[in-house]
Amino acid sequence: MTTAAPSGSRHYDQTWWYAALGRAVVSVGATLVVVVVMAFLLLPIVALFTYQPVHDLVNGFGTKVATDAILVSLKTNAIAFAIMIGLGTPFAYILARRRFPGRSVVITFVEVPLVMPPAVAGLGLLVAFGRFGLLGHTLTVLGVDLAFTQAAVILAILFVASPFYLRGAIAAFEAVDATLIDVAGTLGAGPVRRMLRVAIPLASGGLGAAAAVAFARGIGEFGATILFAGSFQGTTQTLPLAVYSLFDANLDQAIAIGVLLIIVSAAILLTSKLLLGSWTSSRSTSAYPGERSSFARP
Amino acid sequence: MFAAASLTKVFPQIEPAATYSFGGSGALQTQIEQGAPADVFAAASSKQPAALYAKGLVDKPVEFATNTLVLIVPKSNPAHITSVSGITKPGVKLVICNATVPCGDYARTAFKNLNITAAAMKNVVSQTTDVTQTVAEVALGQADAGFVYITDADAAKGKVLVVGLPAQAKPGATDYIAVVKSGKDQAAAQAFVQKVLSPQGQATLRAAGFGKP
Repeated sequence: MTTAAPSGSRHYDQTWWYAALGRAVVSVGATLVVVVVMAFLLLPIVALFTYQPVHDLVNGFGTKVATDAILVSLKTNAIAFAIMIGLGTPFAYILARRRFPGRSVVITFVEVPLVMPPAVAGLGLLVAFGRFGLLGHTLTVLGVDLAFTQAAVILAILFVASPFYLRGAIAAFEAVDATLIDVAGTLGAGPVRRMLRVAIPLASGGLGAAAAVAFARGIGEFGATILFAGSFQGTTQTLPLAVYSLFDANLDQAIAIGVLLIIVSAAILLTSKLLLGSWTSSRSTSAYPGERSSFARP
Repeated sequence: MFAAASLTKVFPQIEPAATYSFGGSGALQTQIEQGAPADVFAAASSKQPAALYAKGLVDKPVEFATNTLVLIVPKSNPAHITSVSGITKPGVKLVICNATVPCGDYARTAFKNLNITAAAMKNVVSQTTDVTQTVAEVALGQADAGFVYITDADAAKGKVLVVGLPAQAKPGATDYIAVVKSGKDQAAAQAFVQKVLSPQGQATLRAAGFGKP
């Protein structure tokens, strides 16, 4: 401790070294934490991508099971997405604009499916819309039999995924400056026009991000679908169901479809980040549309 | 203990102290191939244990019980199925297991034995990865009919009706058990197998509807 130090005082000298040591320990520790967490999160993805030669992996994408599942997934998710946007957008707008008794209860119920295990959601759909469920008899009388149909897949996706959109869309509409919408009203715009021409364009970033997250959730939907809609190649077997079904038959193919799902989900996540316009901001950690500052506009 | 879904009820009666993972025999096979920590593998068929034995992953499998494939329908029998030929009627919603799972393999054998493969497979609306899912779909009334083991049908009594299969249709369903070589406790694994094969274990299996090996 006799080497050059910023001060001649021995006490100061020691404090300086301790502080430097402390900073070093903290930065090594911080690096370690980041590395461990990232390794844990990335390792399964790396393992899936490297499980088989790229050639086999690409071949796995093209098998009949995979292409059938891609078509089923695309079709059911596209329909569910259209219904979600068509009904969910006005629903979210109303909830964001109106204040009425029980509003917070409604919003809480919107969020219930988010915390409900998907298997429980599937059970709920079964005992509600199944052939012997609450509405089963009514549906049978109307000539509707949902059991093992693509309609059942769409319902499962809607139930599990749309709350992600609704919650984000409500937050996005709430973040729009209400006076702008009111001004449009005084200028003669009706309620529908106010929503379509003012509120939606102003909230578009948040709406888009919420829709992307909901779409990703819908593509990955598994538990509710297998319980409520069953699993049959070409009809109800979506990509995640194909992974599950192939697990015991052909692990290579199951993994190939799994990789495909990761690529699709990553693309959707990236899209939602871009829509939020926060890709470059290190502060943004996710496409969580509830974060007002990231899409509120002046 | 990794055991076929059809053994879910009976195995804990034979050895309550063991830790079980029940599932489709095919899925359990894959898990053991991937190094899952199993001590014993009990399957609803000879195929999966034989495949693992061929790979040197388990000791020689032993037959410990037989089972009987039956057709079940919901108690309300919405499709009015009274015999196995009823499943070929147009529009019947039939659920079977995947071909890689013993219950699915046996169902397909039964179709072949009855010469109804084309008509029956046309009515299949869902394929499950283990027999308990097939039972659930029928018990809930979502499906009109399903092929399961007599032992599962007994377990779901009150919710399903059993339609027996003609003798010539019945595939020989056999349950095999084997000690997993990579298991941590070989002695306990051997003891478990012995317990299943013991007169007491066999009596418990008989009581649950399983047949003699």
